Amino acid sequence: MDGVFGNLMLGFSVALQPSVLAYAFAGCVIGTLVGMLPGLGPLAGISLLLPATFGLDPIVAIVLLAGVYYGAMYGGSTTSILMRIPGEAASVMTCIDGYAMTQRGRAGPALAIAAIGSFVAGTFSVVALMLLAPTLATFALRFGPPEYTALLTMGLLVLSYMSGGSMLKTLAMATVGLLLGMIGIDAMSGYTRFSYGQTELADGIGIVPVAVGLFGLSEILMTAGQAATPPAQRPTLRQLIPSADEMRLSIGPIVRGSFIGFLIGIIPGAAHIISSFVSYGIERRISAHPERFGQGAIEGVAGPESANNAAATGAFVPMLALGVPTGPITAVMLAAIMVHGIAPGPMLITEQPQLFWGFVASMYVGNVVLLVLNLPLVGLFVNLLRIPYSYLYPAILCFCVLGVYSVGNSVMDVWIMLVMGGIGYVLRKFQFDLAPVALGLVLSPMLELSVRQSLAMSGGSYRIFLERPIAIGMFGAAAVLILLALKPLVFKSKDWRSDVGLDE
Amino acid sequence: MRNGFAGLALALTALAAHAQEVYPSRPITMIVPFPPGGVADITGRPTAAALEKVLKQPVTINNRPGAGGKVGNAAVANAKPDGYTIMMALSSVSVLPEADKLFEQKPAYTLDQLAPIALITADPVILVVHPSLPAKNLAELVALAKAKQGQLSFSTSGVYGALHLPVEMFLHAFKLKMRAVHSTGGGPAITMVLGGHVEMTVGGPASISSQVNAGKLRPIVGWGAKRHEAFPHVPTFKELGHDVEYYIWAGIFAPKATPEAVIKTLREATKKAVEDADFRATMARVNSPVQYLDAPEFAKYWAADAKRLAEVVKVIGKVEEQK
Repeated sequence: MDGVFGNLMLGFSVALQPSVLAYAFAGCVIGTLVGMLPGLGPLAGISLLLPATFGLDPIVAIVLLAGVYYGAMYGGSTTSILMRIPGEAASVMTCIDGYAMTQRGRAGPALAIAAIGSFVAGTFSVVALMLLAPTLATFALRFGPPEYTALLTMGLLVLSYMSGGSMLKTLAMATVGLLLGMIGIDAMSGYTRFSYGQTELADGIGIVPVAVGLFGLSEILMTAGQAATPPAQRPTLRQLIPSADEMRLSIGPIVRGSFIGFLIGIIPGAAHIISSFVSYGIERRISAHPERFGQGAIEGVAGPESANNAAATGAFVPMLALGVPTGPITAVMLAAIMVHGIAPGPMLITEQPQLFWGFVASMYVGNVVLLVLNLPLVGLFVNLLRIPYSYLYPAILCFCVLGVYSVGNSVMDVWIMLVMGGIGYVLRKFQFDLAPVALGLVLSPMLELSVRQSLAMSGGSYRIFLERPIAIGMFGAAAVLILLALKPLVFKSKDWRSDVGLDE
Repeated sequence: MRNGFAGLALALTALAAHAQEVYPSRPITMIVPFPPGGVADITGRPTAAALEKVLKQPVTINNRPGAGGKVGNAAVANAKPDGYTIMMALSSVSVLPEADKLFEQKPAYTLDQLAPIALITADPVILVVHPSLPAKNLAELVALAKAKQGQLSFSTSGVYGALHLPVEMFLHAFKLKMRAVHSTGGGPAITMVLGGHVEMTVGGPASISSQVNAGKLRPIVGWGAKRHEAFPHVPTFKELGHDVEYYIWAGIFAPKATPEAVIKTLREATKKAVEDADFRATMARVNSPVQYLDAPEFAKYWAADAKRLAEVVKVIGKVEEQK
């Protein structure tokens, strides 16, 4: 233990130098701005800044990138809460209750809780990373294709389970998402599917245009359909600060979200977005008043935002402990290290302690700086809502088009966004839940790949899913979720949770 | 998330309506058709960093994995030929259209859609197994595979990908059957072996060195004409008397219709970039020494390699997915 703290002090002694702190601030500001543009997330932010770090000291480089990273993650939630535009898949869940809070005049608390939740989750994950990385990483490696299949299946079912009302509608939407995810070149065999000769479609349908269309554009259309223009908001100071009640309600979701997010984050692969969906689902289920979800429940912001941030940090566990890159963001961070002559690998922590501890310390610093920077900015962001809708919405539309185009330089993406906006509008009129479409779209290629990989491993036998303990556990949980969701249909009774007092 | 900033910059530049622009006037995207952790990514990132120094514009990496590299290769082949989309591709770039021919499907791209810029590295691949596997050398591995014909499994970077073809060459030469578990790149393929989900895979030195040195993977045999400097104890198929040879090379490509002047700029920049001391040091550290070839020589190298690999694909024939 002494060793840990000694090392951590070493890390902090570097990360807390004034010049390093200045870089952390700069990184957070840039990151927040980049993250606020629809379509531009953490990856775009740090890819852009990577070259600027080559001339810098490795620790400074990582502090700067960590700042951008955290900033962009947070910036994405800002647009989700204020304008219902998810910057990326991970913010989809934040859109739902975050924007509902904005409509009720509680944008300030939503933003503040998102910042606090991100901070708590980030700090928790860094501590877990520091203390448990090698142990957890070994566990993460046990996730092979069958376990992955089970995890993804469970993720989809959690989502269906959480929308207690109409499971049929939710499953239908998840299926639409899964089908959309089938478009493009099959990752396994290389056949081009459902592209109808359009080369842009061969690459598949991206999540950003779909999410921005379904959530952002449909909202603009809905508002345009209202009889009277909603008045622009004039937030007072009191409305910016979370009430005691809101704080109290957020504690549980933040703690649970951090935990779930971190665990899902350490699994190599790209299923991190499940963390925010799972967190939302759990919060809704264990809430004493699940009917508040979707109408602006603070728990629906606190949980997913925390989970999302914890997962992002969790993703560094396999990278640092095993040298296994988990995704493009960790790869960029890794590249920043490699440029300075450090080869990543399973021996990184033992061979380069100053780098590992500097990294850990700079993540702490990035987290704190983000909180200090963004809490005062909440007021500024919320004041954007003073702009009358007749000016605000066309501007948002313009940013949506620009942002979505810039993701892949593709006009096709803009068309997809526009079509999805129309579809989203119609579906919302019929009271369909749109989040499962986004989740299905993201999970579809991964689910297909892992099912087929599992079957290749077993030589075609489906028994492989029932022979591995982790997979059995998760499929079991999924089965229980289905049964629980079916229960109200069979017995017209109250949900069991309300009887045993599992709520707040 | 695809590469956002380059696009945003493009949008803004378009708004500013620069009439005359000198290439490169905005960030360049280098597409890597695989997820991080494989040879293309490990080679691509330092190369992008070195190119940046020369071109004075950010060169950002954009991972577009899928189908053994076909998704990313096709994306570049069909990209706007303005020099702002380039690619770090692997040897599989010429194999995938061949495989399409074999299956009588319309290729997602053809080789004449791509212009070679420069070869960066070329290394023999090395077969690695999970340390728990009893086989310590090639003879033992072959014996084990014979005893468990069709039972052992290996991970690949995708069907007919850069890690699949060499294994099929090996299996063909020794009349073995194994289960192929296709992933989307070298990174996931190696992770699958590390986790013990499959028995073996192959990898370029860049992607396996650190794991081998840490004892997490056991190297068995190499595909080179001679032993790799970083793995002096690992024999080659050649010296064991088997005609099995394969190199995983990484090279830069641009869309074919890219203007001559832009290609020239890219070639000259690459020439300077590969001389960069930091770049050379980084590549040496991952045991993948720079094997630079400029466009004309690279084109010849590529043509010869493509021809040879096309033959290999014909010999191996159709590899069916297990259902």
